[in-house]
Amino acid sequence: MAQMIDITINGKPVQVIQGSFLLGAVRSAGFDVPTLCHHKDLTPNGTCRLCLSEIELKGRKRLVTACNYPVREPLCVSTTAEPVVKHRKMLAQMYLGRWPNVPAIQNIAEQCGVTDGSRFKSELTEENPKACILCGHCTRACEEFTLERVLDFAGRGIKRHLTMAFGEPDSHCIGCTSCAYVCPTGAISVVDALNNPKDPVKIRNAGMRVNAEMATLDQSQCRMRDVGTANIVDVMNRYDLLPVHNYRFGSHEEAFKIDSKVLKSRFAQGAADGCWLGCSMACAKTVDHFELQTGPYKGHKVCVDGPEYETAAASSNMGCFDADFLFEFNFYCDTYGVDTISVGTCMAFVMEAFEAGVITEKHTGGLKLPFGACDEVLEILHQMARGEGFGVDVGKGIRWLKNKWAKEYGADADYLRDIGMELKGLEYSEYVSKESLAQQGGYALATKGPQHDEAWLIFMDMVNKQLPTFEDKAEALYYFPLWRTWFGLNGLCKLIWNDVVPADNSKKHKPQDAAKIPDHVRGYFEFFEGMTGTALDETRMLEQSARVYNFQRCISRMLGFGTRKDDIPPYRSMGPVTVEEYESRAERYDAQLKDQVGVDPTGKNTAEKVRLLRAFREGQYQKLVDVVYKRRGWTSNGVPKIERLKELGIDLPEIVEMVKNDQE
Amino acid sequence: MIRVNENEVPWRDGMTVQDCLDAMGYDFVHITVTVDDVFVESIRYRTTRVPDGADVRAIHLYHGG
Repeated sequence: MAQMIDITINGKPVQVIQGSFLLGAVRSAGFDVPTLCHHKDLTPNGTCRLCLSEIELKGRKRLVTACNYPVREPLCVSTTAEPVVKHRKMLAQMYLGRWPNVPAIQNIAEQCGVTDGSRFKSELTEENPKACILCGHCTRACEEFTLERVLDFAGRGIKRHLTMAFGEPDSHCIGCTSCAYVCPTGAISVVDALNNPKDPVKIRNAGMRVNAEMATLDQSQCRMRDVGTANIVDVMNRYDLLPVHNYRFGSHEEAFKIDSKVLKSRFAQGAADGCWLGCSMACAKTVDHFELQTGPYKGHKVCVDGPEYETAAASSNMGCFDADFLFEFNFYCDTYGVDTISVGTCMAFVMEAFEAGVITEKHTGGLKLPFGACDEVLEILHQMARGEGFGVDVGKGIRWLKNKWAKEYGADADYLRDIGMELKGLEYSEYVSKESLAQQGGYALATKGPQHDEAWLIFMDMVNKQLPTFEDKAEALYYFPLWRTWFGLNGLCKLIWNDVVPADNSKKHKPQDAAKIPDHVRGYFEFFEGMTGTALDETRMLEQSARVYNFQRCISRMLGFGTRKDDIPPYRSMGPVTVEEYESRAERYDAQLKDQVGVDPTGKNTAEKVRLLRAFREGQYQKLVDVVYKRRGWTSNGVPKIERLKELGIDLPEIVEMVKNDQE
Repeated sequence: MIRVNENEVPWRDGMTVQDCLDAMGYDFVHITVTVDDVFVESIRYRTTRVPDGADVRAIHLYHGG
């Protein structure tokens, strides 16, 4: 947590955050100091020397460049002391002598009281008003915004100049235009001819704001460049949301073995790695030179692409708190072309069933499969790829396994339905949703199945308590799935929406609005408008998505799904299935029985309390579904009403045909 | 007694915003705090006192996935 330091600036007492740079304090205090190399979104480097200020520390005075001087202890600052003014004036004369017609230089000279640049006029003088003034904005933007070093300075002294390597166009330059965005003179300009966008500058400006936020804020926010999405393993564990042992629990004492610190220590390059060259978030990560211990590539040293949060959480879901297992699991899932989430969730189900005695070694081909059986998980993965043994069954997913075990092994179908974390045939992704009714809907009402990228409402609902009524939850389950669908419609990454947040987001917006990160939403709209020439706002965005979303629902109906029964989740996602689960959070559940259900838990056995809580939660879920369907313009059975299709302009005969028999 | 995100938390003399967050186990990076609808900057969590009966909101800005 930041500490405040008391300093004086030109005699004025000021409080500043310890470690912050002096220039910000000077300007916040209302004093003007000229700068040339400084840019608010770039690391200060003090090269122009114009921000020189005098500080007095422990009785000693000296000059420092304010832009990169960190305030660590109380001090007295003068921006108007005689040596400072004299030095600054000399610099302004030199700059004006070399670049007399550049407006940025003329402004600096004016601020410093210099009108005549003839003192330092020489053969180096450049008359071009758009001359490069060697401020270094562009080189820093290249490195800090997009993690490239395409531009740099060459030559020394008076021969210093801006260039690409060997003075030739560098193929690493992707034309991101960061350099032009920060250039104060126009020395670098952009020819926007690619893809024929309607308004290239609008696109560039929208993108550059994100680049600047990544360069300045990411380190103190989500550390996406540093550890990628794995940063939230630790967070989810602390908030009791990390799936453990097939979603029975939300945290585990051994989670530290696969947390972001451990993963970061193994990530190879020690650098950011993007999905595409030039991505400023660059949250992809790899583990290089990892020696495989199993499978067809045993003994090979390979590059593991990941792991991301979901894969790490899949590991905890299987009770496998072992980083080496996690890397090997990640590698082979990728190599075999299977999804780490589906395999992880499916294996967690298999492990619980094994521990519960639903299946035994007789069914698994001799493999013992309790939670934490890392070697056996990998063996099943290899079997799956080879098309052999028990791995073939596991590869068919939870829904298939439930049916087989109930039919052929006489297993309790209701119990399997409760603990088998799939819906619509898709395995759940890796968050515990028990304490968030809205998230239960976010998962179960998602068109494609319980995937996390339609609506992630856990913090809004469970932690923030921002969605107290069914109508509030339904509104969130209207807005967010459509907002996220819109990313998919336009092929845009969602991560820059909310994995970096503008520094003033909290100040500018009320908390409930701030949660949507309005400036970033607007940035996406500007990008869309810059590309297509069509203005976009929230209403239009929601309409665009709703057309597709409802069309998808109609197709689901045509295929025999897409009704209420398909939106009812396994109870494990809603509450404690077993006595053990209930007792692991007994204080929480007992309080809920008393406060929410209106039942005094005293004297009741755990099985009875599980039953009472379940009846309440299932009832709550059904009420939620009613309100969500109404908000979405669907029938009480979850089918889009024809009048809603008309509103959206998609009441084509073929589509109406899909749902006409389901109208009320 | 104060309320933090609708949860009752015992109040004590000198209690700060940071104490409230600690009491709830809130250590996420994107949190917006208001005390009785007044926004509190993160650098002032340790110095901003919370009065008895206050309504503290700690909004976590994260949407997963």
